[in-house]
Amino acid sequence: MNAHDDERMKEVLRRALPPVEGDELGRDLWPAMLRRMDAESGAAQSPGWAWFDAALLAGMVAFGVFVPAAIPVLLFYL
Amino acid sequence: MRPQELEDFMNTHPYLRAYLAGIFVPTLVLPLLLAMFIVVRIVMQVPVPIEQALIFPMAVVPSLFGLWNMLWLGTHARTHLSIGMHGPLLPILIMPMGATTASCLGVLQLGTHGATWFQACQIPYALIAPCFLAALVGYYLVWKYIVGFLNRVLGIA
Repeated sequence: MNAHDDERMKEVLRRALPPVEGDELGRDLWPAMLRRMDAESGAAQSPGWAWFDAALLAGMVAFGVFVPAAIPVLLFYL
Repeated sequence: MRPQELEDFMNTHPYLRAYLAGIFVPTLVLPLLLAMFIVVRIVMQVPVPIEQALIFPMAVVPSLFGLWNMLWLGTHARTHLSIGMHGPLLPILIMPMGATTASCLGVLQLGTHGATWFQACQIPYALIAPCFLAALVGYYLVWKYIVGFLNRVLGIA
């Protein structure tokens, strides 16, 4: 492959791959990424589920209060 | 340890770390359980068969917790089951095993109206199902919040 072929190859490639217009982003994407990460972590630790878990814990404690004989039995399995 | 060495270490032996994270809770609870049984037996003079009662929680439960966490690590990529849902499946396995062991060791006696644990705690048969539900809730909370936290700390979740 000589220098003429190289130039021709460059020309063919330039025509096949048109230049991207606007080579810089119009805005910073990092704040949007942070918002998305916050939204995902918020969904993972939904307050509704926290209340559900708290209710389950309260129910378990209430069960232990009303049936104290069950406490050593439950501890036997932990 | 340099950061790179620490990273290399954290990237190895995930199943060992899963086992250690799994046995954390029963290992922590066992001395408290032992202390409680000793107080009940020696201080309060309640004739609890402490030697037989401690065999299952001491020899079986911690290993099962560790193996169950290893099983979660090995399968959750396929099952997509959260740790909070995986943990409560363990009582389905552990409760019949514990009841059988306790019955064989004389820790559990089955009567006409209910079961007597440790020759002291009588639980009517009507309360067995609520007991099982309470165990499921306890396992759910322990696995979701404690084992899940340890898995994240040890880099396996």
